[in-house]
Amino acid sequence: MTLSQLVFRSMKKNIRHYYLYFFALIFSVTLYFSFVTLQYNPSVVEVSDSIKISAGLKAASYLLLFVVVFFVLYANRLFMKRRSKEIGLYQLIGMSKGLVTRLLVLENTILWVSALAIGVGLGFLSSRIFAMVLLRILEKDVLVQLIFSVEALQMTIFVFLALLIIVLIQTAIGIRRVSLLTLFTANAISEVNVKRFSGIQMLLGFIGLVLIGYGYYLSTTLFELESDNVNMLFYKMIAILGSTIGGTYFVFRFSVAFVLELIRKRKRGHLSIQDVLSLSPIMHRMKSNAMSLTTITVISATALGILCLSYISYYSAGSSAKQSIPFDYIVLNDQGEAFIEALKEKKIEFTQTDIEILDVEVEKKNLFVDDIPAGFSVETKGFMSITKLSDVQKVLPKLILKEEEGYITGYSSMMSEIIKWEANNPVQLTTLAGEENLSIKELIADSVLGYFLTGGGETLVVTDEKFEKLATDSSIQEQTFWSKQVGIDLVDRSQLKEVQTIYEKTTNNGHFEVTKDNGTINSVDMGSQEEFRLSMLDVYGLIIFVTGFLGLAFLMTTGSILYFKQMTEAEEERASYTVLRKIGFTANELMKGIYIKQLFSFGVPLVIGLAHSYFAVKSGWMLFGTELVMPLLITMSIYVILYSIFAFLTIGYYRKVVKDSL
Amino acid sequence: MTILSGRKIKKIYGKKATAQEVLKGIDLEVSKGEFVGIMGPSGSGKTTLLNVLASIDKATEGVIEISGHNLRTMKEKTLSNFRREQLGFIFQDYNLLDTLTVKENILLPLSISKISKKEAEQRFQEITRILDIQELANKYPNEISGGQKQRTSAARSLISNPTIVFADEPTGALDSKAATALLSNLEKINKDKKVTIMMVTHDAAAASFCSRVLFLKDGQLYTELYKGEKNRKQFFQEIINTQGVLGGDGYDA
Repeated sequence: MTLSQLVFRSMKKNIRHYYLYFFALIFSVTLYFSFVTLQYNPSVVEVSDSIKISAGLKAASYLLLFVVVFFVLYANRLFMKRRSKEIGLYQLIGMSKGLVTRLLVLENTILWVSALAIGVGLGFLSSRIFAMVLLRILEKDVLVQLIFSVEALQMTIFVFLALLIIVLIQTAIGIRRVSLLTLFTANAISEVNVKRFSGIQMLLGFIGLVLIGYGYYLSTTLFELESDNVNMLFYKMIAILGSTIGGTYFVFRFSVAFVLELIRKRKRGHLSIQDVLSLSPIMHRMKSNAMSLTTITVISATALGILCLSYISYYSAGSSAKQSIPFDYIVLNDQGEAFIEALKEKKIEFTQTDIEILDVEVEKKNLFVDDIPAGFSVETKGFMSITKLSDVQKVLPKLILKEEEGYITGYSSMMSEIIKWEANNPVQLTTLAGEENLSIKELIADSVLGYFLTGGGETLVVTDEKFEKLATDSSIQEQTFWSKQVGIDLVDRSQLKEVQTIYEKTTNNGHFEVTKDNGTINSVDMGSQEEFRLSMLDVYGLIIFVTGFLGLAFLMTTGSILYFKQMTEAEEERASYTVLRKIGFTANELMKGIYIKQLFSFGVPLVIGLAHSYFAVKSGWMLFGTELVMPLLITMSIYVILYSIFAFLTIGYYRKVVKDSL
Repeated sequence: MTILSGRKIKKIYGKKATAQEVLKGIDLEVSKGEFVGIMGPSGSGKTTLLNVLASIDKATEGVIEISGHNLRTMKEKTLSNFRREQLGFIFQDYNLLDTLTVKENILLPLSISKISKKEAEQRFQEITRILDIQELANKYPNEISGGQKQRTSAARSLISNPTIVFADEPTGALDSKAATALLSNLEKINKDKKVTIMMVTHDAAAASFCSRVLFLKDGQLYTELYKGEKNRKQFFQEIINTQGVLGGDGYDA
């Protein structure tokens, strides 16, 4: 038999071991190639000039490359271990290490070249789908061409051939380093290593749980900085990362076995068949699995966290725009007549909300919950826009005020995290007659004025009587540039596009200018809510696309690594299944235990990963957007579903092994 | 009383062209309390016969009944239950689960039965006392010797009070001292507790503990020897002589 015959025979025989490795390779190539192709697709690159889409994609492709390298090297190592017996046998019958190496090089090359070919083919097709998804996310109507980029092909071939060489070197070193004996026993040594559990391990297991708990606790108080040290935030983040990652390792290495050992001890030898197949193998494998489970958990938690945050930004684009520009269109003072006339002329239906405004200096220091740390300089006194209750009630009808009371609107969740205020405290208004106290009844997140009027901050709402009284104050009159905001909401929002052009034409692109009696000029440039939303989409859309893509890649790799591991475990436990079947347990009874084991193998990394990302997202989400629950639920559900698919795949594999074991 | 009976048991492996008849119609009967040995040259079908009788493998033809239950008519699930409740197994390579302690291994067959914990604990104590492995209860298999492993395996096969215990070369991996200890234990259990045992072996010394030895050759029953009133040494000599007649070549050892 010649070498090539041997290669083909062994590949045919090993197809069961190969196919996952092969699919993993194809998947990596497909993902990478289509991603790189996107960068060279003119309909994607030219769609937005405000941001560099191709630069974003390029950065992402490097990250993707990192994932692929990590994954391929891991898969190859596992693959080698599974075949150690075969490699040992070749050497035993007298093949030299060189020859065995050549054999594996040939095998790998065949595998990689075919994966590359198939992957490029699939990538060519999928890149168009990806392009369409991207443009859909960005809400752009562009026809996507199907292009084949030679540059992308060259890039992909170069990258994967380089990777192949690394894998081959890894393989060659692997063969060279091990002796015949270790090759034969590689399986036995590495995995099941039955050992007793000592008191120290139990203690460490407990510490692991404490560490994670502490990390979570810290994350909930991330922005509560007691000291004046500005680096405190940074130190805190490091502490959180350290204690959760360390805690995760400890949990996998010690806590899990510790908890299971407690359960097992209580049974005093009377284990159920489910326990036999779940409890004890998991316990004894924890030592060798701890590192990879920690890596998988941390990676998926990171991916999930980033995915959640970018989805929050994307998801919140609409509500963020509404927070910044509360009406579809805003015109100021009486400078919007032309716009409104034009709308009436075109018979476009709309609702109009007039809100009168006064600018008053307000002292807010009593609102602060904590004393302001010495290191931070916060202006507590400054100009604030003041509106009257009856105007605001047009937007927020539930508000009711008594004499000497006021609301603060536009106090967003992001503000509330960074600057902590509390209602039922007084603020002081500066008038000509002196300071006037006003008790704040409630802090409201919704805003009623455009961000260019409030400076992105809050608005004070007072009773109509109070407002009229303030309006007569000559110094306040002097300070107030914009006395009225006219909000226009369209009845039929499908006309947004049409109205946008009218708005730009009649308001000089949203430019408003006011000149005071004393000659000071004030001007603002603003856009419509829709315009604002689209500009946010441009940025966040790209980010969500890239992170979504990478998140998927991370998920697929961690999922397949878990699958690989479970396949190997199933093979190693085949002998136990045989014994159990012989003694008289049915395949179904064994499968019940395996369900539990799989629930654990996938469930624990998933649950810990979800918990990690939940606390990570919770600690900083308000910096990214205004909605938490929905984006979090959606991303997490997608993750859970995809993980479950992998879990079901492994259960299918186990079922086959159990069925065949007798 | 007949515990096990087999009539015209045939086992054919492979498809038509390559078909190989391993068992060529074997008839046998085992009564309660017997200690039956099966011997024969390698390839004679000893282990196949044991597997078929023990319902681990299916016979191609023939009828096998264990305490009145016909194995052929039983479904996969009932067969498994039957195996777990009525049969005990001892294998050459112990077949203990590495991740379980000795006690957990022994109690394994009871894990889905309705036997109370108290009862199970009682049986465990009794069996481990007879086999002298009480002290090992909380050890893992990799912490004990081969002989102890095999006694653990024997304890596991006996815990469910089986009708019959099947042993496939139980002493194959043991040194002679450990083998003798195990066989004495089996003999004792067979006598005291009236447990029926069927054992495949290639070792005449091991077979001499039996009350009856069947000899297989080329998939057929060749002859059988009864111990009767003979002592072990005489019986051993008789077995050796029969082996000589059978043809000394091809004994697996």
